[in-house]
Amino acid sequence: MPDTPPEQVPFAIRHYDAQTLTRALRQMFLIRKFEEGAEAAYMRGLIHGTMHLSIGQEASAVGACIGLSAADKITSTHRGHGHCIAKGADVARMFAEFFGKETGYCRGRGGSMHIADVDAGNLGANGIVGGGIPIAVGAGLSAKRLGTGAVTVCFFGDGANNEGAFHEGLNIASVWKLPVVFVCENNKYGMSTSTEKSTAVASIADRAAAYGMPGLSVDGNDFSAVAEAVEDAAARGRTGEGPSLIEAMTYRQRGHSRSDRNRYRTKEEIEAWTARDPLPRMAGMLIDHGVLTEAQVAEIEAEVDAEIAAALDFAQTSPDPDPAAVTRDVYTVV
Amino acid sequence: MPTEVILPKVDMDMSHGTIAAWHVAEGAAVTQGQPLFDIETDKAAMEVESPADGMVHHQTPAGTEVAIGTPVAWLYAEGEEVGPRPDGAAPAAPDARAAAQPLPQDPGVPAADHRAQPAPDQTPSAPAPKTAPDPPSDLRPDPTTGGLRATPAARAAARDAGVDLAAVSGSGPRGRVQRGDVLAFAPRRRAPSGPAVPLVLIHGFGADAGVWRALEAAVDPSRPVIQLELPGHGRVPAAKIRDFKDLVSRIRTEFDALDLPLAELVGHSLGGACALALADTRAPRVAGLTLIAPAGLGPQIDGAAIAGVARASKAESLGPWLRGMVGAPAALSDRYIAAAARARADAGLHAAQSQMAEVLFADGVQTFDLTPALARVGCPLRLIWGKRDSVIPWRHALRAPGRAALHLFDDLGHLPQIEDPAAIAALIAPVTTTTVGRAVHA
Amino acid sequence: MDGAPPTRDLSFAEALREAMDIALAEDDRVVLMGEDIGVYGGAFQVTLDLVHKYGAERVIDTPISELGGAGVAVGAALTGLWPIYEFQFSDFSTLAMEQIVNQAAKLRYMLGGAVSVPLVYRMPTGSGTGAAAQHSQSLEAWFGHVPGLKVVQPSTPADAKGLLLAALDDPDPVLIFEHKLLYKTKGAVPEGRHTVALGTAETRREGRDLTLVASGVMVDRALEAAEALAGEGVSAEVIDLRSIRPIDRDTVLASVRKTGRLMVIYEAVKTLGIGAEISAMVAESDAFDFLDAPIVRLGGAESPIPYNPTLEAAAVPQIADIVRAARDLAGGVV
Repeated sequence: MPDTPPEQVPFAIRHYDAQTLTRALRQMFLIRKFEEGAEAAYMRGLIHGTMHLSIGQEASAVGACIGLSAADKITSTHRGHGHCIAKGADVARMFAEFFGKETGYCRGRGGSMHIADVDAGNLGANGIVGGGIPIAVGAGLSAKRLGTGAVTVCFFGDGANNEGAFHEGLNIASVWKLPVVFVCENNKYGMSTSTEKSTAVASIADRAAAYGMPGLSVDGNDFSAVAEAVEDAAARGRTGEGPSLIEAMTYRQRGHSRSDRNRYRTKEEIEAWTARDPLPRMAGMLIDHGVLTEAQVAEIEAEVDAEIAAALDFAQTSPDPDPAAVTRDVYTVV
Repeated sequence: MPTEVILPKVDMDMSHGTIAAWHVAEGAAVTQGQPLFDIETDKAAMEVESPADGMVHHQTPAGTEVAIGTPVAWLYAEGEEVGPRPDGAAPAAPDARAAAQPLPQDPGVPAADHRAQPAPDQTPSAPAPKTAPDPPSDLRPDPTTGGLRATPAARAAARDAGVDLAAVSGSGPRGRVQRGDVLAFAPRRRAPSGPAVPLVLIHGFGADAGVWRALEAAVDPSRPVIQLELPGHGRVPAAKIRDFKDLVSRIRTEFDALDLPLAELVGHSLGGACALALADTRAPRVAGLTLIAPAGLGPQIDGAAIAGVARASKAESLGPWLRGMVGAPAALSDRYIAAAARARADAGLHAAQSQMAEVLFADGVQTFDLTPALARVGCPLRLIWGKRDSVIPWRHALRAPGRAALHLFDDLGHLPQIEDPAAIAALIAPVTTTTVGRAVHA
Repeated sequence: MDGAPPTRDLSFAEALREAMDIALAEDDRVVLMGEDIGVYGGAFQVTLDLVHKYGAERVIDTPISELGGAGVAVGAALTGLWPIYEFQFSDFSTLAMEQIVNQAAKLRYMLGGAVSVPLVYRMPTGSGTGAAAQHSQSLEAWFGHVPGLKVVQPSTPADAKGLLLAALDDPDPVLIFEHKLLYKTKGAVPEGRHTVALGTAETRREGRDLTLVASGVMVDRALEAAEALAGEGVSAEVIDLRSIRPIDRDTVLASVRKTGRLMVIYEAVKTLGIGAEISAMVAESDAFDFLDAPIVRLGGAESPIPYNPTLEAAAVPQIADIVRAARDLAGGVV
């Protein structure tokens, strides 16, 4: 829209080229359709265990990672499919991991909760709430000691902000001025307990003050807002100014896990947040600003559908691990 | 109707006897004439043969003392229904300890024998406990009922040596058989090679298998020689001996474990008494019996010498006693005495031997009389004695029956096999050639 | 001796410091982390002066944040550094169990072998200093129970140096339990680079009648006991385990085959510990057939470590306890 005043043009449109923005939209579709595909496979009994879906949170995952290089690191959470895809993972190997196959990212040893893509800089999802926070700080220490210039984006949920690891990790990162961006995806609930019930401060971003770092709360369903906040924080980190805390306000449209009965939130609340779904918002923004046409968006969606179908096929036809290899990779050197 | 098996009277003044061991397990088949059980009396031990063919049931447990004529088992024909004991009695308990353990019995059959009454803390109507309480910790469990106490190393050694662990006395806590017990036992169980009947040698009080070394060197080297050691002597662990019967019972267990079809027994002094008792109860397997200055044929014995040897731990204290026993003191070398003293270094051995001496030779008197057994010996029998024997009077030899051969040496003392091994070996040699294939005693 | 490096007498603490000095000098990626390890020199002065030689960037004082510190070490190890993290007392590792057990130990496996976690946790350990229940524990078996961790426990200054350098060379997380009573003990230590392979026990004294298996501070006690037993005609073999995990099965089993009698001596609480493991190891092997007596475990009391010095000594095996128990075992009383 050439008639929009420049100051009203979203950061993302100003900052990224069309190719990057198209990749971002495509990744958001990929996350959504990957999780829908996983959910369907789960319901058909093809996946065992459980999984934590991030449907509705795609903008924060992709917005936080869009400016990162492969040298930059992320640490992720149990709700980490989006982070993994946003950092560049191959959905075929992700599905293979869900199906417990030898071709999966973890060769069937990790499953949904431990997917990592170390080559792409994803140090791994984590089954422990807050477990990735000290690890991200350690990655920050390495970057600083080795002078790599890399930053680490540390994803965690609102639940983690009450773990000791959060407080110890943020304090250490700040004391040592490490290049870490703490991204709290506040989806309002730690399982069923709301942030109002669990957290003493109104905004988790307010916690930043205690650790001497900037804290910013943004609309987590707005790709551009998240990307802008993380770009700023990453720049601080790279220039030695230390860590930042960003709170991305978002919402998981599905339950905590596959066994969630949604007893703790209302239909109205879910509908209100579904109306703020980040995917149509992102597509709309790109169409509004002439980056893509509706037809191109539909074409991207169709491509993603085909990629998901092929990925599911790859996963289903991949070999299972050899039971004799159950103790492989416990140690590097036995 | 089942056939009664009773405790027979086997000795003149016998009123009671103890079942020492069953040779046939409960429920197993026997044929008439097959050895069925052993009885021990005050004076001797005897093997009792089965009176008929059949399956043995309702055995009175080994260790139980019963009056003569009492049924101790019944023989059932093939297919015959085995109900409660035909005499309606509960099986007797072997002793006070065993009485505390519930014995298997039919519920509803009243316990007629007071020794089988439930312990005071059990109400008579209480159901029998599902699991028997642990056996008393100082009793070695009966190997036939499982639970032989032996270390893994002992079990492995027994497997290697082909030794039946049940035959080995354990020197460990609670009678646990240890590897050393098996090794001490195993070398004496050399399989007989060739047609010669093995010699089984039993040493006397205070000695050990070493006492035979000179004799062994003098006998035909192709002849298998097996030495049995008394409990608390040599390499056999100490054991508290209750009486002579108990001693013989242990020797018999060891002898049985050798599993020899035929053997010639040679016993010296107390070992002579043991050999005689063994010949009495294992007659079918004894081809000949040589008794060298045996105990058990009269009350006299040199109590001071016995006590002195039991206590001696050094060559200085042992030497005078041993030299006093022989006809010519020079017959015992200093080396022999030093070696004998070294073998007696273990303090536990002194205690065990002193205890044994007190039981067997109380107040300097031989407390057991084997003359009836001597009269019963059916195999070739010889007695060898030195007339200078100061420990046991040689005149005891004169109690031998007429068919026995007497070899009396004017210049020898109590240790003829050391004093003149060649002469003794020469006496032993012919028996083997003449007794192979001898008839089973009547 | 041909080829053997010259030695000097160093204390256990000096030997550890020399190992760290060598490692820091050899490779820039080595960093030391821990509470008060800089100018203070660490609670037991093990890192004394290293900060002056290598600077505060490499000899890093951490906040009193065991979970954070231990986790930062994990993240740093994942991303290119080789950290040595000192717990002030091994008891404080309880605060960091999450990072040690869930993260350091499992990351390689969960990620299907995609990463290694090359770090060392130094664990000042044990009783005898009057520090009571929260500063005197022996927790090595806890960590030995976790696949993915390696656990060593040196008994001499030479092994302290050799095992620490070997631990640092190893690509997997290693915990080195350093008994506090040993820090001032002296012994010959090879100069230069000296390593002791993980998982190798050392027969400290040859014997015939029974095998005493010990590690850490219990090795000296076992050796003194063996000397006393020799005067009674009992010949005891003393095996210094050195590594708890991996454990040198062959050396222990060979000794048991020789002596037929086994006693395991350890300061940690007796039940469910190293004694049980070694006993089971023997029971499950062909060495079982060589046992000529029940196995004896001489472990710590079923209590926390008490303060009163008499009680404290009574709570863990002392030389006289070892002599008594070994005499009974060799004498067939057990």
